[in-house]
Amino acid sequence: MDTLAALGHGFLVALTPYNLLWSAIGVTVGTAVGVLPGIGPALTVALLLPVTYGLEPTSAFIMFAGIYYGAMSGGSTTSILLNAPGESGSIVTAIDGHAMARQGRGAQALATAAIGSFIAGTIATAALTFVAPLMVKMALLFGPAEYFALMVLALTTVTAVLGSSLARGLASLFLGLALGLVGIDMQTGQARLAFGVPELLDGIDTVVVAVGLFAVGETLYVASRHRFETEEIYALKGSKWMSREDWARSWKPWLRGTLLGFPIGTLPAGGSEIPTFLSYLVEKRLAKKPEEFGKGAIEAVAGPEAANNASAAGVLAPLLSLGLPTSATAAIMLAAFQQYGLQPGPTLFDNNPELVWGMIASLYIGNVLLLVLNLPLVGFWVKLLLIPRPWLYAGILVFSSLGAYTLNNNVIDLVILWVIGLLGFGMRVLNVPVAPCVVGLILGPLAEQQFRRALAISQGDPSVFLTHPISAALLIIAALLVIGPMVVRYRSNSAAKGAGKDGSASPSGSHPAT
Amino acid sequence: MTTGRSMRAGEAVLGGGLIALGGLIAVETMLTPSVGRAVVGPALFPYLISGGLVLVGLSLLREAFAGAVAHAEGLELDLWAVALVAAGLAVQFLLLDTLGWIPSTTILFAAVSRAFGGRRLMVNLAIGLALATFTFVAFNYGLGLNLPEGSIVERLTSPDAE
Repeated sequence: MDTLAALGHGFLVALTPYNLLWSAIGVTVGTAVGVLPGIGPALTVALLLPVTYGLEPTSAFIMFAGIYYGAMSGGSTTSILLNAPGESGSIVTAIDGHAMARQGRGAQALATAAIGSFIAGTIATAALTFVAPLMVKMALLFGPAEYFALMVLALTTVTAVLGSSLARGLASLFLGLALGLVGIDMQTGQARLAFGVPELLDGIDTVVVAVGLFAVGETLYVASRHRFETEEIYALKGSKWMSREDWARSWKPWLRGTLLGFPIGTLPAGGSEIPTFLSYLVEKRLAKKPEEFGKGAIEAVAGPEAANNASAAGVLAPLLSLGLPTSATAAIMLAAFQQYGLQPGPTLFDNNPELVWGMIASLYIGNVLLLVLNLPLVGFWVKLLLIPRPWLYAGILVFSSLGAYTLNNNVIDLVILWVIGLLGFGMRVLNVPVAPCVVGLILGPLAEQQFRRALAISQGDPSVFLTHPISAALLIIAALLVIGPMVVRYRSNSAAKGAGKDGSASPSGSHPAT
Repeated sequence: MTTGRSMRAGEAVLGGGLIALGGLIAVETMLTPSVGRAVVGPALFPYLISGGLVLVGLSLLREAFAGAVAHAEGLELDLWAVALVAAGLAVQFLLLDTLGWIPSTTILFAAVSRAFGGRRLMVNLAIGLALATFTFVAFNYGLGLNLPEGSIVERLTSPDAE
């Protein structure tokens, strides 16, 4: 089979000692940075970008693959021992994982997370191997109209799914879209919103925005809150190994989590929030002792962690085959590709098979390395949690500014980083999610490009988006995702109001309770 | 201590800011002379986005006055620490080109450490200096990147270059 031959080639590339070394470095550094509290996978990848600048693209992306998987697994350590999830996919893990740590079962929680991540990661990577080429075939049928519709769908779902209110999600998204306008228009060469600053003609870098929001904004927020919040680390004690019962209770959740995580990860609505929450609910429904959930049930760590890692592999399928990032981390990976002058999508598989398949093969290798790194060395990673907070956050900002400066060797990027950081602080205080901003910044210009191409081909006839069936279907789904929740909310509101009116008009004349 | 009222004010500032940004984009786009004869010019998306910004801003303003805001019960914030971190970053980008990476990053490190309650200034400066020197050496000589050594240093080491 074609795919297997291509994967075989990928392994030949990834298993050369040189690339194996970069994969190992990527996994190790990714885990180390991912373990640090407050640093999720998106930020880990962004912060470690400068380290890869000296590398060949293939080696660089093999290292990225390691960083990506390492950061995902490092995040579970902080969630479990510190109750500080670095990204939304680890929130569910933190609930029961941290409860287990309080009971002195932190080692078992980490073990089920690590083994579950390995199993889910391996199965999902295998699925990615076969799904990505299928998506490439599908992508070849796509014209600009379909791409535009797909991007609209991705933008709306990323926004609607995240955050407490649609208005706040949209605020973040539109900020990102506005930032994406800055720079030279790709089709006419006209400068937009550069305000005469030459450095702005190249546009605002996704990496600067991501580091500004995730690192600077987060650090400012933690600085403002650290006096009022105490954090406790729960030491690992007792047996390090999972008991027979732990295994028996873990293996099914691992597999179910994988089944939920990968397919949802591949959808334009991807990301890891939905599958981890679904997995938690499924395990609770199926558990023999659902009352243990929230108090340290091992299933509630095993399932969501597996779902989290499987969705991480799933997200790579639309990223590599369509160039469509569906999470903040994927948006930064896409920015990393663009840094090397590469555009993920169907052509990448034809033009750079070594790179794509080497990267996919290195995901398998990275998974094995992670298991080796995580099970015996977990005590070492835990030590990283003990870094005094003043030095930890000072160090995070040093590396943030280093990353922003080395993108273009430009002080203007540091000024932008500062402004975005302050903005991120405000967003964090007001509970505005930051991920839609990053995704909007990278998808906005791409969507605009496809939109204008589609109209150029149709000679200005806008019905092209609705006469192409795939495009029309995608746009209708996107519209439903935005309008649906609004209708539900409006209906429940008006129902509540209607009930209130009936109550006050009732002959008993009783006063409303409040 | 930030009260629920100032959280509402914050939400209103965000809403107002988005409306202002939308207006700015619309005005700037109107003032830019259009080039090219594409079916859809470079002005359409800026107008759409500015329209979206205004709508979202209005909706946030409405929430600020009548709806649900985040932390409506108030949120304790140590704004002095925020100012110190922000000042550290500002000092770094203002002094980077003249003083170079090592001194400006050392100052940043010390400022952030202080904001997080690290009181031993000398120790923080020493660690900052060590980290700044390490990153300078590792990234400039190990990875071939260009962290600035500073125009002052350059002038001192090669005075004829002026």
